[in-house]
Amino acid sequence: MSTPGTLVFSDTNDDDQLSLVDILDHVLNQGVIVRGNLVISLAGVDLVYIGLDVILTSVETAMRHINATSGLPGKAS
Amino acid sequence: MATRLNSTDRRVLYLYGVTQSQPAKPIVHVGVDLQSPVEVIECQGVMCWLSRVSAEDFENSLTRNMENLEWLTTASVAHQRAIQAIAQHVDILPARFGTVFRDERSLTAHIQKQLKQISRDFKRVKDADEWGIKIFETAPTTTSVPKVSSGKEYLMAKAALLPKNKSAQIPAEELSEFQDELSGIADESAPAGRISSGQRGLLFQTSLLVKRAHRQHLESVLKKFSRKWSETRRIECTGPWPPYSFVSQDSKLQ
Repeated sequence: MSTPGTLVFSDTNDDDQLSLVDILDHVLNQGVIVRGNLVISLAGVDLVYIGLDVILTSVETAMRHINATSGLPGKAS
Repeated sequence: MATRLNSTDRRVLYLYGVTQSQPAKPIVHVGVDLQSPVEVIECQGVMCWLSRVSAEDFENSLTRNMENLEWLTTASVAHQRAIQAIAQHVDILPARFGTVFRDERSLTAHIQKQLKQISRDFKRVKDADEWGIKIFETAPTTTSVPKVSSGKEYLMAKAALLPKNKSAQIPAEELSEFQDELSGIADESAPAGRISSGQRGLLFQTSLLVKRAHRQHLESVLKKFSRKWSETRRIECTGPWPPYSFVSQDSKLQ
């Protein structure tokens, strides 16, 4: 089995970091307590899907902790 | 992320999953706490992959830690990496994130109780990987935000450029044509995506269990639909993942 990656079947993808969200999708899919959808609304506009946004931000911190050697999904095409 | 472990701290066994055999070469990998190594012990003829982690972090405070997204992200990425390191060599039945046992005796007792279901699940996932499929509504090509005079106007303009979150749907006929093709390739499918279910423009998602021999077939079907839908939708496929979503509820390794 090779390291997971993202295959995007179009040329419009611009978000490499989705693979980290995908990690959480798969790892946590089978059952931990995950907070519900939290959408922050500012000035009447849905700003972000906070779960994703906070996760993507926290990934930066996470990466500082993690010895980047293996298992990080890359992007394939 | 985790507090530094002292030699006097009580440890619990954090289980990554079970395999039927051991790879020829030992696996050297850091565990979910980024400190303890991944180890393997044999229980009832099954190889159990685990780390000895802080009871404080992974037993007493697990629920609280799970609500700390920074902790959760670090730990779940480390969990994935450890499982991936094993899965590269041997088929694994992954345990749920956060599965801990007090000691080897309680782990052995659990494995013994689940042994029949575990062996059925080994057959189920043999030579197969999990793949995640998502279909997105394609974003408009315009990306520049017009000149605005306030933060609110800027946000409104940005929002107007994004795909509408819930307006679009894939017509049932088109979706079932797509699903029919996939079901000819995948052994099973499972609902997916608790975390990303709120992603903007996401129209459909699923997880598939696909035999490695069918990987190219899967890719060709996805390419075919991508071409067909190129004006309106984008398909993303991630994997190969360990079969996280295809371990029986009955044999949940927890």
